[in-house]
Amino acid sequence: MLESFFNSFPLLLGSGNFLTIISVIALGLLIGLFVGALPGLTTLMAMAIVLPISFFMDPLVGIPFLIGVYKGGIFGGSIPAILVSLPGTGASVATTFDGPPLTKMGKGRKALETALFSSVIADFSSDIVTILLIGPIALVALLIGPPELAAILFLSILIISSTSSGSVGKNMIMLAAGLFIAMIGQDPIAALSRFTFDVFELRAGVPLLPMLIGLFAVPEILINIETKAKEFVKTKLNLKKEEKLTWEEFLKLRKTILRSTVIGTTIGMIPGVGQVVAAFVGYAAAKNSSKTPEKFGKGELEGIAAPEAANNAVNGPTLVPLLTLGIPGDNITAILLGAFIAHGLRPGPELMSEQGSIVFAILLCMLIANILFLILGYFTMPLFSKVVTIKKSYLIPLTIIFAFAGSFVFRHNPADLYFLLFFGIFGYILKKLQFDVTPLVMAFILAPSLEYAFGQTLSLGDDNVLMYLLSERPIAALIIVSTPVITWKLFQRSKKLRDVATSLTSSQVKSS
Amino acid sequence: MNNLLKTLIAILAIINFSWIAKADYPEKPITMVIPFGPGGSHDLNARVFTSIIPQYLGNAIIVKLVPGASGQTGTAMVAQAKPDGYTLLFTHNYVDQLQHHVKKLPYKPLSDFVTVGRLNYAAACMIVLSKSKYQSVQDVFDAAKSSNGKLKLGHSGMWGATMVPMAQLMSWGKVNANLTPFKGGGPMVKGLLAGDVEAVLHFPSVIKGQGSKVRTLACGAKEKSLGTPPTFEELGFTGQIGYMDRILMAPAKTPPERIKILQDALSKLKDDKTFKKFMKRLGENMKFMSGPDYEKIRAEKSNNYKSLVKQMTKG
Repeated sequence: MLESFFNSFPLLLGSGNFLTIISVIALGLLIGLFVGALPGLTTLMAMAIVLPISFFMDPLVGIPFLIGVYKGGIFGGSIPAILVSLPGTGASVATTFDGPPLTKMGKGRKALETALFSSVIADFSSDIVTILLIGPIALVALLIGPPELAAILFLSILIISSTSSGSVGKNMIMLAAGLFIAMIGQDPIAALSRFTFDVFELRAGVPLLPMLIGLFAVPEILINIETKAKEFVKTKLNLKKEEKLTWEEFLKLRKTILRSTVIGTTIGMIPGVGQVVAAFVGYAAAKNSSKTPEKFGKGELEGIAAPEAANNAVNGPTLVPLLTLGIPGDNITAILLGAFIAHGLRPGPELMSEQGSIVFAILLCMLIANILFLILGYFTMPLFSKVVTIKKSYLIPLTIIFAFAGSFVFRHNPADLYFLLFFGIFGYILKKLQFDVTPLVMAFILAPSLEYAFGQTLSLGDDNVLMYLLSERPIAALIIVSTPVITWKLFQRSKKLRDVATSLTSSQVKSS
Repeated sequence: MNNLLKTLIAILAIINFSWIAKADYPEKPITMVIPFGPGGSHDLNARVFTSIIPQYLGNAIIVKLVPGASGQTGTAMVAQAKPDGYTLLFTHNYVDQLQHHVKKLPYKPLSDFVTVGRLNYAAACMIVLSKSKYQSVQDVFDAAKSSNGKLKLGHSGMWGATMVPMAQLMSWGKVNANLTPFKGGGPMVKGLLAGDVEAVLHFPSVIKGQGSKVRTLACGAKEKSLGTPPTFEELGFTGQIGYMDRILMAPAKTPPERIKILQDALSKLKDDKTFKKFMKRLGENMKFMSGPDYEKIRAEKSNNYKSLVKQMTKG
């Protein structure tokens, strides 16, 4: 393995390749950045569109090109999340907690820079871990079967619900609502219709993107209109003139970035969990260990660094099942699989042993992509800011256009606009009643996988699931046993935090 | 203000709203829904042909994976879509011709969809891990018998391309087994590699990628690339088993001239050198069949499945 690692260097550096590789990665990054920043256009779509181009390039040019689009797209998705509370994917939902408050405070540029630095640092570190531990990570992937996945997903939903900002009771209501909404449509295993009330539009289930935009962007717009916040309309949003992130501020973030990188890398090793969970768990962990957790959700830079570092740290390890077993973990790695195959490289055990140097060369390209992205991202930010240099009074109608267009282009289905409106109003009411929608979204995103894995576990366990878990699935059994303990601890801790927060606000009220 | 207008126009141009562009079909990328998970054989085949077809079609085909409910979630999505030729379905015969015999579906496959063409077919093979003690299909049957039906076998979705032939095999061998579903072909291979299940049916293109990790016990057709294992027919099974047709479908109400454009583009693939090269790398055949030809056998195939389902749901 070491030999193939060293053999990968001449592949990258030889005969003028290097310059080509660098320029295609840079091109990919820019395409991804741009597409990702437009709501409704996903990284996945961008990659699918450029995939054929990569087929006709050299493997070590085409695949790095796609990697560039991939990395650029993921960061691009954070831009509307930070500026106007428009999450393009589940992975950038957690970024909408602190991004828009920071933008309102005139710290949009700091927030974007925090997102860029955290993403790049976390991604870079997780890629290095991946290169060093590719063998062991592949083994972990095989240890996680349906029972383990079910247990982990269940625990994840509980962790995120218990650390959300609402009260325990409200969070549980949201959790149940999310699970219920996810059940609308056909059940994933036997394909029977549930809760569709004979409405045709509901048969394929509730679509994620209109729901996300509805729940996060629309209430934000409505509240802005409602409060007519005077200073909000008067001032101009001008990122170019805004302060940059200072070195001191960055240093304060290093613990958060490190913690989220570890969380993201670990979650990335578990196939089927992914960026969404990583971002939320990273956010929850940062909030939990912060000395000022009450600032989270109101414009805390750590609240940007935590989810952004965590969801990008997933990138490295997710590639491992693809490279070592030939099994892609999600739709994006599935596109990379296509690129490999068309180049005559078939990811799997054989590729690793026969053409390991190519695998390592591709992993090294990911490192190069990160460095390039740091530079490109930093210097294109003023360019981006030029685009967003608009009066804030235009920002509201523009956000509305983006919200509707984003929901529609996703699959060109007019029904999605009804979903958007429904969830927009629903989200607004929830916000007024001080419900945190995080548990709802989490439960909605994870429920189908959880239900599938649960059904598989029942099937594998035959007529005695308990015996099966105890005798053949010690890892799953261990997670299940520790679930109540972990949840109880987190509930207690978040209750304490809330008590502190309420006493703080009441003392503020008194003093004023 | 000028800046804002410019930005808006640029954004609209990129999003490419259909009511702005007015060129000939297809004037924007076509979405092709695959109702199965990533990394399965449909996914791989689609990645290849969609990368070559733009030169004959004049625009891109974007693959969209919509797994769930044994292929019915994605199929329902296409059935719901506007029949304007911009949403297609890349599916197989079991979803298209068998499932409506099992349960009421939110769509009528035979009348809601029309065939654009069959890209190729694949014949399923039974595989086990190389370190498994099973050397033949009979060994698997014996193990199922002696375990009292508790032998763990995997399939890639209820009434799907590997579930139906697996059930056929079980009924032929007069044995029962624990059939566990996986979310598509990719996760099913992982289930086999991890030892969650002991044997699965899969297609040559995926089996080749696993190299020496798995052993092929038997196949639906002669597979030279896998070292010519016996066919199920040679083992005594009467009739074809496990043939999966990879078919490209369009909503039935799609304008016929648009379907014609798609059919022409698809049929040009079979003479394309690059396509041939890529399909060889995948280990897939190129038994192309035109849309009208496939329509002729489609109803008949569906009828055959009807009796099969009756027989299987009885037992």
